[in-house]
Parts: sequence; structure tokens; C-alpha cells
Amino acid sequence: MQERVRRAALPSAHEDAGSASRQHRPNESWGDRLFGGLAGGLAVLALVLLGGILVALTIASWPSIQKFGIGFLFSAEWNPPAEKFGALVPVYGTLVTSAIALILAVPVSLGIAIFLTELSPVWLRRPLGTAIELLAAIPSIVYGMWGLLVFAPLFAQHIEPALASTLGKLPLVGALFDGPPLGIGLLCAGIILAVMIVPYISAVMRDVFELTPAMLKESAYGLGSTTWEVMWSVVIPYTRNGLIGGIMLGLGRALGETMAVTFVIGNTNFLSSPSLFLPGNSITSALANEFAEADPGLHTSALMELGLILFLITLVVLMFSRLLLARLNRAAGA
Amino acid sequence: MEPHNEAVAAAQQAQIEFRNFNFYYGDYHALRNINLPIHRCRVTAFIGPSGCGKSTLLRTINRMYDLYPNQRADGELLMNGRNLLDPKMDVAALRARVGMVFQKPTPFPMSIYDNIAFGVRLHERLSRGDMEARVEWALRKAALWDEVKSKLKASGTSLSGGQQQRLCIARGIAVKPEVLLLDEPTSALDPISTGRIEELIDELKSEFTIVIVTHNMQQAARISDYTAYMYLGELIEFGVTDSIFLKPQRPETERYITGRFG
Repeated sequence: MQERVRRAALPSAHEDAGSASRQHRPNESWGDRLFGGLAGGLAVLALVLLGGILVALTIASWPSIQKFGIGFLFSAEWNPPAEKFGALVPVYGTLVTSAIALILAVPVSLGIAIFLTELSPVWLRRPLGTAIELLAAIPSIVYGMWGLLVFAPLFAQHIEPALASTLGKLPLVGALFDGPPLGIGLLCAGIILAVMIVPYISAVMRDVFELTPAMLKESAYGLGSTTWEVMWSVVIPYTRNGLIGGIMLGLGRALGETMAVTFVIGNTNFLSSPSLFLPGNSITSALANEFAEADPGLHTSALMELGLILFLITLVVLMFSRLLLARLNRAAGA
Repeated sequence: MEPHNEAVAAAQQAQIEFRNFNFYYGDYHALRNINLPIHRCRVTAFIGPSGCGKSTLLRTINRMYDLYPNQRADGELLMNGRNLLDPKMDVAALRARVGMVFQKPTPFPMSIYDNIAFGVRLHERLSRGDMEARVEWALRKAALWDEVKSKLKASGTSLSGGQQQRLCIARGIAVKPEVLLLDEPTSALDPISTGRIEELIDELKSEFTIVIVTHNMQQAARISDYTAYMYLGELIEFGVTDSIFLKPQRPETERYITGRFG
């Protein structure tokens, strides 16, 4: 009787069906709620951790923030005995090495991905794909040792003089390829980083290319396009969100890479010319080199602030990539 | 027998002709000894149950199978007297003469205008004004112009399914092909969009040779002039559509079109 009254009071058949099924299978609803709560809780936990790290970094770097203010970012002086600290050299090193790595790694990865999905004979696809993925399995310290002991001497002997005598003669960009061929330096670190991020970027690019519907590609081939035209005009625009995701994954790794960079960047806090041949420093290698010996106090606090800056750079890069995607999508009318 | 004689007589002036044509997926012999004419400025429908090879046959006409290793054809496939299977054939040029539309709409990730202009740019250098005229011409032919003329800059993917499929037809027409291949072009569309595409096919056949694969026998009966019934990789019967549907010569064909099988 009560049931009938309740049913009559329900506004629609749809809700009626919902309530009936809930009555018949109470476990399902309970399980769903538990699962939803659990998943939601974990998502919130990730956010809380992120916020916690941000807060902890800010507190730890507070003395340095108070002392140097915004000037911290623009001062190239890093003098622990005098307790003078400026982040310009490591921030510059991080940005420049990551930019070099991207400029070199993106075209190479794109070429690898196009070759693996469209051009390679079938029997070669798997072994070659696996070999490139294995590059990602090499520990970064091995890249560092290889870079310092094998690559840097070769780089100093052959590549840097060649660059200096060609690109170094050009106006404007010439200054970047000028100076003594030392081997280790910003350019060397950027190249090592490029090798390290190629497997990540190319693996993502290959995967998104493979997700392109065969019918879409056949439509383009069906109009008489060459492989290049199909890739450039149809597949790359179709997969651009995934491609940018892959590039951002690589950039994230390049910004945060520590060990390999420390080996080959030179670790000096001087910035005397724009040449990429000169040694420099990156945020991560400054932290790795100095943290153990830093006095508690302003030195540690300045290093903490470097960490905070790296965090913010990564955050800005992420947000920038979101903005870029949104603009691209708007431009395509999607 | 009379309609069949008619068909044979018409074969003399076929634009495309399969002669002793075989097709293989690796070791699998998918099409066996096909002999079939396709007539200029007529609609030819391929019908038959799933897996009978009708799509495979269609895709040989623009050599789409070239994209995939292990797929090969032998025998003769003549278009205007030239063998398309010739390895020296320029496949890109062939595909400019043979347009194709697929089961699902496949608009490119670009604007409506660029979707049409894309194929034209591959083969011709047109001035801006000529290109605009060509895009309008193709969209009018595909009965889409009135719906999109105010938003040519919008993305091709923003259109409805039926509009997208007409966009794909316009894209195929824009390069001025001789032949249009339609691979179940209405299988993903609602009945109203299907009706519009069928009307369109009827108008286009005055200028283009059309080959259509369809699962829908009523559709084949409505729109085609010739019908080929295929089963298990063989061409069972070919003839004028009316005679195939009204007086099929082979019992297999009759069983299929009366719905007792397939």
C-alpha cells in the first residue's frame, strides 16, 4: 500500500524505473557510491599533494624570497660565501638547453614516427620501434657518462669548429656559435637532452598516427595525394592534440632532467657571452651539485627557490600548451 | 536472354572492363576470374552478401590496394583501353580521374572550403578566383552549396553526417574525375540523408561514371542501371538492373534478391 502511494507520488516514469531498480539491486548503488568516493578521494589526494609541495617549497624558500625579491630572477651572481644569490644563469641554462633539445628532437621524432607508421617495410616496424623505445630505457647517468667521455670530445674536435665556421659566420645567430670549442657546454647538454627525449616524443607520435582512421588516410590517397601530402595536410592536423601532448611530455623531461645534464653542462655560474659553446648551469644540476654542501640558511633557501622556479616553469609550460591547443582548435573551427 | 544481349552489346563501349581479373590478400584468392564491363555515364551497382568481395572489387579501380603490402591483382583491368594494373601506371594521376567516397564521411581536419580545394590543389594550379569558382561548382553539384555558402571557413567536421558525406562527394567531384566510386555511401546515414544522396547520384550520372557498392538491394534497384551480383569472390550475374531484379537468370541471384538468403 505504501509502495503504491509512493509510486503515485513520483513525477515521471523514468524516475520510477530508477527507484525500482534501486530497490531491487541495492548493492549496485552502494558499490557505485563506494567506487565513486574512492576514485574522487584519490583525485583529491593528488591535488592535495601538489598543493602541499608548492606550500612546502614556498615556506622553505621564504628567506631567499624576502631577501632578494624579484631581483633573484635577474641577477647572475651566485656567490655562496658572500651569501649573494641570483637565478639567472641556471634558469637561462634550463630554458636554453630544453629549447635546443626540442628544436632538434621534434623534427627527428616526427620523421621517425612517419617512417614507422607509413614508410617502413612491415618486417622492420617492430624491431625498429622497439630499438627506439629502448633508448628511453638507458639510465640517464649512462647518457651523462657517454656525453662527457665520448660525445663531448668528438663534439669539441669536429662539430663545434664546423659550426663556428658555418653558422658562426651568419649575422645575428652567429654569436650563438662563437667561441672556444670546449665540448661540454649548453649546446652539448641540449643535444644529449634531444637524444634522451626523442624516444618519448616519437613513441607518442607513432601511437597517435596509428590511431588515425584508415578511411581518412585512404580518402586523401584516393584524391591522388602522395604520402607526404597525406601526412602533412591530413594526418598531422588530425592528430595535433596528441602530437603536442607528446612534445610537452618531452619538454617536461628535458626541463627536469638532472644527471645527464650535470655531466655535460659544465656547472659554472658565469654568463659572459651568448655563445652556446660556453659552459653554464641548469636549475637541476645546480641543485644536484650544491644541495649536499649547502649551509642551512640562505644558501639552502636560495636552492629551494630554484626548485620552486622550476616548478613554476613547468606549470607555465603546461598552461601554455593548453592555451596553444585551445587556439589551434578554435582556428580549425572544431 | 534479350536484356543480356543488350548488356553484351553495351560492353563494347565500356569505360572500364575487368578481364580474367583475380585478386589476392596474401595467399587468399579473394576475387576469382572476374569479367565485367562498367559503362560510361551509367550507375553500376555491386551487390552481394558480406564478404563476397564487392568492396574489394571496387577498391581495385583506383588501386587503393597499393597502400597495403601483400595485396595484389592479376588479369586485366582496362580503363579507356589502358591496363590499370600496369606497374608503370601513375597511381596519383589515376586517382585524380577516379574519385572515391567511403562508408563513413571522412571530412579532412580543415575548413569546408579547404576540404574541396585540397584535392584540386594537388593536380592543378588555379588562381584564387578560379579556385573559388571550382569550389562553388563542386558544392552545387553535390547539392550542398545552399547549406554551406555562408560558412565556408567553418570546419568540415562541424557539419551533420549527411552534409559531411555530400562534402566528401563534392571533394571527389572537384578534381573533375571521370569515375566516382561509392563504397556503401549511405550505410552510416539516416533515411532522409540517404534519399538526398540517391537523388544526387541520379543527377551526377549524366557527367560521371558511377560505381556503387551497396548492402541495400532496394537502393541498387532504385538508382542503378546495371547490377552485378557477387558471391564468394565470384561474379555470379551481371546485367541491366531491371532484368536482374525482375528476371534473374541464375537461381542464386534470385534467392539473394528475394531475401531467402544473404
